[in-house]
Amino acid sequence: MPKHANHPTPDSQLPIAIETLQSVLSQMLPAQADDGDLYIEHGVSESLALEEGRVKHVSASTHQGMGARVIKGESAGHAYTDRFDNKALMQAGQSARAIAESGQSRAPVNIHQADHAPKALYQPTNPSEGVDFLQRKLLLEELDTLARSLDPRVVQVFANVSSSFSDIHIIRMDGRHIQDARPLVRLNISVVVEQNGKRETGSAGGGGRFGLSRLADGEEARRLVHEAVRLALLNLDAHDTPAGNMPVVLGPGWPGILLHEAIGHGLEGDFNRKGSSVFSDKMGQRIAAKGITVVDDGTIPERRGSLTVDDEGTQTNRTVLIEDGILTGYLMDRQNARLMGVKPTGNGRRESYAHPVLPRMTNTFMLAGNDNPDDIIASLDKGIYAVNFGGGQVDITSGKFVFTTSEAYYVENGKIQYPVKGATLIGSGHEVLQKVSMIGNDLELDPGVGTCGKGGQSVPVGVGLPTIRIDELTVGGTEA
Amino acid sequence: MSTTMKNTTEQHISGQSLQLLDAAKKNGAIHADAVAICDTGDSISIRNGMVESVEREDAQGIGLRAFVETPKGLAFATASTSDVSESGLNKLAEQVIAMARISEADPDAVPPVGAQHPTAAEMQTWAKKHDRTDCGWTLDQAKEAALECEEAARNYSDLISNSEGADASFGGSRVAYASSDGFVAEYAKASASLSVSVIAGTGEEMQRDYAWHRAFNAADLHSPQQIAEEAASRACKRLNPQSMESGEATVIFEPRIASSMLGHLIGAINGRSVLQQRSFLADSLNEKIFPDFINIEDNPNHPDGLGNRLFDGEGTRCSLNQIITDGKLNTFLADRYVAKRLGQQPTGSASRGLTGDIGIGSSNLIWQPGSQTQTEMIKAIDNGVLITELIGFGVNGVTGDYSRGAGGFVIENGEISHPVQGITIAGNLKDMFANIEMIGSDLTWFGSSAMPSIAISGMTIAGE
Repeated sequence: MPKHANHPTPDSQLPIAIETLQSVLSQMLPAQADDGDLYIEHGVSESLALEEGRVKHVSASTHQGMGARVIKGESAGHAYTDRFDNKALMQAGQSARAIAESGQSRAPVNIHQADHAPKALYQPTNPSEGVDFLQRKLLLEELDTLARSLDPRVVQVFANVSSSFSDIHIIRMDGRHIQDARPLVRLNISVVVEQNGKRETGSAGGGGRFGLSRLADGEEARRLVHEAVRLALLNLDAHDTPAGNMPVVLGPGWPGILLHEAIGHGLEGDFNRKGSSVFSDKMGQRIAAKGITVVDDGTIPERRGSLTVDDEGTQTNRTVLIEDGILTGYLMDRQNARLMGVKPTGNGRRESYAHPVLPRMTNTFMLAGNDNPDDIIASLDKGIYAVNFGGGQVDITSGKFVFTTSEAYYVENGKIQYPVKGATLIGSGHEVLQKVSMIGNDLELDPGVGTCGKGGQSVPVGVGLPTIRIDELTVGGTEA
Repeated sequence: MSTTMKNTTEQHISGQSLQLLDAAKKNGAIHADAVAICDTGDSISIRNGMVESVEREDAQGIGLRAFVETPKGLAFATASTSDVSESGLNKLAEQVIAMARISEADPDAVPPVGAQHPTAAEMQTWAKKHDRTDCGWTLDQAKEAALECEEAARNYSDLISNSEGADASFGGSRVAYASSDGFVAEYAKASASLSVSVIAGTGEEMQRDYAWHRAFNAADLHSPQQIAEEAASRACKRLNPQSMESGEATVIFEPRIASSMLGHLIGAINGRSVLQQRSFLADSLNEKIFPDFINIEDNPNHPDGLGNRLFDGEGTRCSLNQIITDGKLNTFLADRYVAKRLGQQPTGSASRGLTGDIGIGSSNLIWQPGSQTQTEMIKAIDNGVLITELIGFGVNGVTGDYSRGAGGFVIENGEISHPVQGITIAGNLKDMFANIEMIGSDLTWFGSSAMPSIAISGMTIAGE
């Protein structure tokens, strides 16, 4: 075995014996591999759900497993197992090697701790510590009582609090061991209101990578209840939404989902390397109006989309995707970065050991401009002011993206007229940001509720936006 | 590869379930049920004629639901683990009981005893006919199929400019269920699938489309050529789309798109959503919600369906549910708890993950076809759109309000005129159900659902 000046990882730190991992690693990696790693995860999650005034659903899960990866050129072998016995682990290594022709293996390496571990962006403790099940139950019951007391039209309340803690070990091809321990919490409130036989729903949520105690002290939780009830009642009075092309003003915060769908996915390294994104070959070109700067920043402490290191052990970054309207950056994992001859940006993410790594977003937002948000709304002659959204989706090849309003208003002569029903807005990713004519000074990040799906994998993300005016977007209402 | 699959699936997972039930009882459970799973699978992706990725999964897990007596009645909790060692199972049982004790009792709780289980004879017959641990593919055969499919798709036309690759995957899964009334059952499933996605056009004019097929036996899969042609021809036809004027129009949903309507229907007749007043059909039982000519069934034993099952996630024997006959809604879908609350029979619809609440799900959903071809349907429309793509999630299950991004082909005077993209279609599902004008004869299976084309009048299109 080669000598290593580095600190060997003590056996006690890993759920699998170091010796076993060293033999899996050396046996799985062919001499000509470009990259490869082992990803060992132990995760726990807990959830309490209230409905009909009772905490009826208490659930938990424990998952552990190892993913093995071998990368050569454009090919990747990935295998995982939930079993920690020798045979299963060796088999996973062998399966990952399937992309390479048989041949020599690499020299064995010592598993050792990486130098210069980045400063953790969150506490490495289980976020449910210090808030036992009973306290969580009492919190949900209090929120239920509050929601019902706010308005007699509230007929159903759903409240859910969940927490998870994932202990992750990445062992690179050279034996470097990188560890991350990731807490994540989330609180969701949803209500059904009824008036004259008409039902509507409203929901609100929040969370991040911090202890449950912060949610359980109640102030933020109570704000979410007020918000859910307000949205549901607002929707009772919603008018039909107009249909067609019109100017749209987006409020600050969660409407940043526009950026996530319209440009974020299209700037992920895999699509651009393969030339399947509408943004392929647009580096250095104008893809947004002057004044627009968009970043992906995984380094904001305790945010839902943040990571101290990504799932390949690369420290996360603040990557400028668009600077003053010009495309300046793509989001990269190690494989795509190598193939495109650029640096990894700390965006290699996987849902768990059971999923392959893909370039993904972290927290994606537009920097603030100079306009007063009130002036932006007042600029609308006839149009939509959209404050809150449900989900969105994009076809990265045609660039067509959609996102659906959950709180929106019809504006005429610069004045808000009435709320309108949820409607889908559709546009083209490579065009929409060129139609932005005003940027507010009120950047906000979302409350910590985003989950992004790609290739069948879900990962937590964040978005953010100041109030902006888009001169033209297609609004999918029912009133033509 | 298939030999290793056999090795790993020959686990005694019913034994694990029974062991877990014992541990639950020892820790104070009055009633309990357990689900154990064991999945193995392989997949290979080919792009531009080269192997892009090879993946292998080897998953196991076990979940427990345990009921305890509290002063206010029965309460329960659920938990799961992928650590199936003896200590892992004991830890799980302890954890679930502790959680159940803080859970709130529900006077209507239905513990896992006395469900209408299938008989031993039925289980044997079923196993003989349906159990399979192998779909007949090796990794090399899967690779050949993916290579052939991807090459055929790239070579379909000069318009095809890029490939997102072909995927071939196959695997098996073994599931065991045991409940504290003595019922225990285990079954095995295996299937194979093949898909491909290609891009036509270049730069800002690119269009992508895909095709896939899944079958129990690799030999029953659509040919690589057929899947390739479907994906590539769809991508080519989408080139040079225009927008269209906003206004009211009749839309035809091709089967692939129309199957989303089955999803919306099932979501709305989910008994749990009905109880929670979160469904736009909560007050529509025994009412006509579709025109007379519409019939929809949930069939747990159909030769073409991948959703066949003998019993559901609570061990309740499944039988045919005639959900819609002559346009009338006959039943909500219910597990045992929901059935008790709604005052109806369970429909064998309990769907079970390893942990969390029991959900409601269908087996094979079949929308009975009509007699017109899609071309005949198009001929009958003056002003409309054939929808071949829907994106986004703009459907409100409480109100039925519907607004989604769409693409397809404009229909003028009974003919397809040109591709369209970047539009939305909007309405309300209640009206959309009632306004179905025609059903196609082109019944198409998508795994566990089967759907023909449908035409709906009175949708609002938003475009230019």
